[in-house]
Amino acid sequence: MQPATGSSGDDNQKFAIILHDFRKNRFAYALVLPTILFMLAVHLWPMLQGIWMSLLKLNQFTLNQYLKAPFVGMHNYTELLFNTSNPVRQGMQYALRNTAIYTVVVTIAVMACGLGTAMLMNRAFPGRAIARTALLLPWVVPSYVVGILWGFMWQKEGIINYVLVDVLHLLDDKPFWLIGSNTLWAIIIPTVWRSWPFLMIVFLAGLQTISDELYEAAEIDGANKFRQFMSITLPLLKPIIAVQLLFQIIYNVYSYNIVAMMFGNGSGYPGEWGDLVMTAMTRQTFGYWAFGSGSAASFMLMLIMFVIVGIWYRVFRSELNT
Amino acid sequence: MSKQQSRFILNGSLTTFTWIIVLFTIFPIFYMVFASLHSNEDILRGITSFKLVDPKWENYRDMWINIDFFNFFKNSLIICTVTMLLASSFAVMAGYALAKYRFFGSKTLEMGIISTQMIPGIMFLLPIYLMFLGLKEVLGIPMINTYWGMILVYTAFYTPMSIWIMRSFFVAIPNDLEESALIDGCTRFQAFVKVILPLSVPGMIATCIYIFLTAWDELLFAWVLTTSPDVQTIPVGIRLFVGQYQNRYDLLMSAATVVTIPVIITFFLTQKYFIRGMTAGAVKG
Repeated sequence: MQPATGSSGDDNQKFAIILHDFRKNRFAYALVLPTILFMLAVHLWPMLQGIWMSLLKLNQFTLNQYLKAPFVGMHNYTELLFNTSNPVRQGMQYALRNTAIYTVVVTIAVMACGLGTAMLMNRAFPGRAIARTALLLPWVVPSYVVGILWGFMWQKEGIINYVLVDVLHLLDDKPFWLIGSNTLWAIIIPTVWRSWPFLMIVFLAGLQTISDELYEAAEIDGANKFRQFMSITLPLLKPIIAVQLLFQIIYNVYSYNIVAMMFGNGSGYPGEWGDLVMTAMTRQTFGYWAFGSGSAASFMLMLIMFVIVGIWYRVFRSELNT
Repeated sequence: MSKQQSRFILNGSLTTFTWIIVLFTIFPIFYMVFASLHSNEDILRGITSFKLVDPKWENYRDMWINIDFFNFFKNSLIICTVTMLLASSFAVMAGYALAKYRFFGSKTLEMGIISTQMIPGIMFLLPIYLMFLGLKEVLGIPMINTYWGMILVYTAFYTPMSIWIMRSFFVAIPNDLEESALIDGCTRFQAFVKVILPLSVPGMIATCIYIFLTAWDELLFAWVLTTSPDVQTIPVGIRLFVGQYQNRYDLLMSAATVVTIPVIITFFLTQKYFIRGMTAGAVKG
């Protein structure tokens, strides 16, 4: 194709470049085509449909003919933001508060425990290989089992109260862990327990890429262990920390299984202190058939996540290019 | 005390500390197995009435009867295996193309793949639920309560992360290998199949295990998109059981043990590949 002159010529030229690129990379296009089609069908299309649904009045009466559901514009959004008697709105403020505390505490604890144990495991000691494999076991346990198991251990007469009260005498009487403000700890601790082994493995792999010579040189310069950690270990691990931080935030904000299993069959309510955004939204949306409000709520949750990711990107941009 | 002595003591105490952490960490798993071998009366009375003698193996038989475990196990196995095969094939193809080619739209595709991970699952759940209802209504294709419906959803959700793992694996394979195959007269397709694929088997194993473990663990979509025991998976079955028999901890703990042990065994057999594949993806980001 001959590129013509003028403004349409630029388009022609662009088209010619794309065509050339297509001929050259035919094989690559063939390889990604199934994935692209699949992602358009099961990611992009449902997402657009979800945004469209958030503008409709979708409930048990209009659900069967959802293509003909009445258009209500921003009504679902204003309802969620301002109408306190909306079922999906109810409890959402607790869920948001709990999810914020849960995400911050779990993410920090998981990163700190992961890095700490990785540094302990980075030394040579007897049984190191066995210890490393054993530490990974909690991470292999399915998360719904984690919910059942810890729900059982947190019982009033359960093992945790037995150890805290009868063995160690740390508390005077046995507290309820699955009711009241303790509930948040009852879901934070199992999540940390299950998540940090993976961080340990990732940090261990990162630590092993740092050459010993750096530490030896620092030792000669008279830097103590803490100084070495701050000036060598942390800066060199920063790219790994950045990526894992993002994954942890995403994973924890969308956490569902542990709470759903720990508090009975899930149609029950884990209490103001146990409800997370995902459990609250699922229960309220499907419980009240409030699909319009539910879609609006999930779209707003997605916007919140995009803001978090945007902040993350601004903070760690320089680390990601290396 | 000499310097050598103090170093010896420090090393010893660090090792002891490490082992204490290890024991504390794996204790809940042992406790689960331990509790599963006691009668419910003993469990409800508390740990002081636990005894090692006279293990109640019949819990495992009773659990099988109460939960109809074989059925849920079969469903999980079929859905997770087919998902694993489909998603890993997509991941191998797309991961290779993204690792070795720069083509029009490849950057956009990479960004699209990562950004799927930031979208809440429930954002897809509601539309897919309605889409499945609509397909049944308009075209007469049943999607809710079918294996294919679940497999389609899981394959779509685990493909992006799997592409990412495979891509970091292919990036690590040097380009020279392919180039010499091309000089020897292979087409790009032949070079891919004969040279690159055999080298990427460890990465494929890691990806397959990742997909299988994640699908084995999925609860939310299975809970909403299946209502018939004919297709419900293990997590849904156990969740229904928890709702029906809140306080049968003996059966609950034996069910939890039965689903955990196979996963742990699989992990032990394959951990060499798995740890390598997961850390390669995670460290490079």
